[in-house]
Amino acid sequence: MISITKAPPYLTVQDQGRPGSRASGVPRGGAMDRFALRTLNAIVGNPFGAAGLEWALGGGVTRFDSACAFAFGGAMVAATLAENVVHPFTTLYAHVGDELKIERFTSGRFLYLAFSGGIEVPEVLRSRSTYLPAHFGGLGGRMIARGNTLPLGAYPPAVPRNGFTPPSELLPRYETSVVRVTRGTHAGLFGDGGWTALTETEFTVGMASDRTGYKLTGQALSHAFGDLPSDPSCEGAIQIPSDGNPIVLMADAPTVGGYPKIAVVSEADLPLVAQLNPGERLTFTPVSIDESQHALRQRTSDLNLIRSAGAASA
Amino acid sequence: MSDAPLRAQPLGDSAATITFGAVRSAELLRSVHAAAAAISEASLGVVQDIVPAYLSVAVYYDALEISYDEIARVLLSICRSVPVSSDRPARGREHEIPVVYDGSDLPGVAAATGLSAEEVVARHSGRTYSVDLIGFVPGFAYLSELDPSLHLSRRAQPRPRVPAGSVAIAGPQTAVYPLDTPGGWHILGHTQTLMFDPDNTPPALLQAGDSVRFVRVG
Repeated sequence: MISITKAPPYLTVQDQGRPGSRASGVPRGGAMDRFALRTLNAIVGNPFGAAGLEWALGGGVTRFDSACAFAFGGAMVAATLAENVVHPFTTLYAHVGDELKIERFTSGRFLYLAFSGGIEVPEVLRSRSTYLPAHFGGLGGRMIARGNTLPLGAYPPAVPRNGFTPPSELLPRYETSVVRVTRGTHAGLFGDGGWTALTETEFTVGMASDRTGYKLTGQALSHAFGDLPSDPSCEGAIQIPSDGNPIVLMADAPTVGGYPKIAVVSEADLPLVAQLNPGERLTFTPVSIDESQHALRQRTSDLNLIRSAGAASA
Repeated sequence: MSDAPLRAQPLGDSAATITFGAVRSAELLRSVHAAAAAISEASLGVVQDIVPAYLSVAVYYDALEISYDEIARVLLSICRSVPVSSDRPARGREHEIPVVYDGSDLPGVAAATGLSAEEVVARHSGRTYSVDLIGFVPGFAYLSELDPSLHLSRRAQPRPRVPAGSVAIAGPQTAVYPLDTPGGWHILGHTQTLMFDPDNTPPALLQAGDSVRFVRVG
């Protein structure tokens, strides 16, 4: 079990989301940076789908009420465990009573913490992820507050050794702000000019950005056809509302929508978008669906290599 | 629908949409729902979700198991084998939803339509609606088609909070708000029926293609 002794302004339980209920209007949800959480799960010997903490907007303190292995990563933070400086994407063994202090964020937006055994809140619709808009999943469908305790599941069989860190080339990289996109279902409506504007403009993440979507500014992509009949959407879809400023749909976006979708962010690069704060910039570069799916498979293969390396160290 | 100009497109790395036409119609919607049912009946192991909408159906799949080109080929083949909609009987479950017609917009709707409140209620509860689409929030079902005399544009000022269970109308459609959300539809009444329950499978009471009658209980 772990306890939150000082909560950051945003803290929820998340996993890889809940596909399977979109026909009922339930978004996939789950971690905003799903690759960071999957990487951390591999580093503590968990299945990729185990639940961890999604943490944002400031520092806080977690106390270990039982000994366990854990790891953190995603956003860059200054952190200590029992007063010793600790590093991201590294297997760390905590003793009973140890405190993990997240002092501050230095870059990025969403920090993830994975604990060996995973956070064992009840599953709702086959997922432990918190869906705040409808108040279900995670810890009673709400944000985690100071004083809350979270149960951990059974210790997994092969936890990597203390201090294990995967080869750096396998870890998530956030240095680039060039994000791959494939053509969206309405790309044709914007013509060559719209596509060129999307892929040659530097956009800035706006203040209106949350788990539902990130509003961008840079160049308005005008279109003359108004709203369309609602049609299915997905995480990463770049939709263009009537003011022309793109919105990148994120984990909790509705399953259908009436704004035209000019492009979709490659899943392998969605973490790059998720980790951007308001005021930070990005550009989009076009790839084919084959290239985009290849990138997704490459990332998944990297995760499997991390798991193998961790198991070998156990 | 072997003559229909079906079109497959990727929707990101893990979904494909099959589009049935460019103009929204009740007939096209029946084709989409029939195709969604046929894809579901095919029980493809790589498929995670099937979401029908007005012009297209989206199929969400495991891109680690199958490529876009392969799934598109499979889906087009299934959709082409679905009989034309008019030959296919209506599918889906039938629901009766009890409604207390005490909504705060009932007098305003009566005034705007030139009908008595009693007549508004009679026209709203006097027909069978079909579930066009699920979306906006979990369990929100867009139902059509409202009696033409009740077609009103949305409220100029959306409400910041519409209580769950509110029965409302806008344009040619009616709906029950499944959760407390902001909303701009005209509220005619409320129901105790639970429209969304995450402990149920599926969690939404109504699914695309179902039919609904509202029964006046007050």
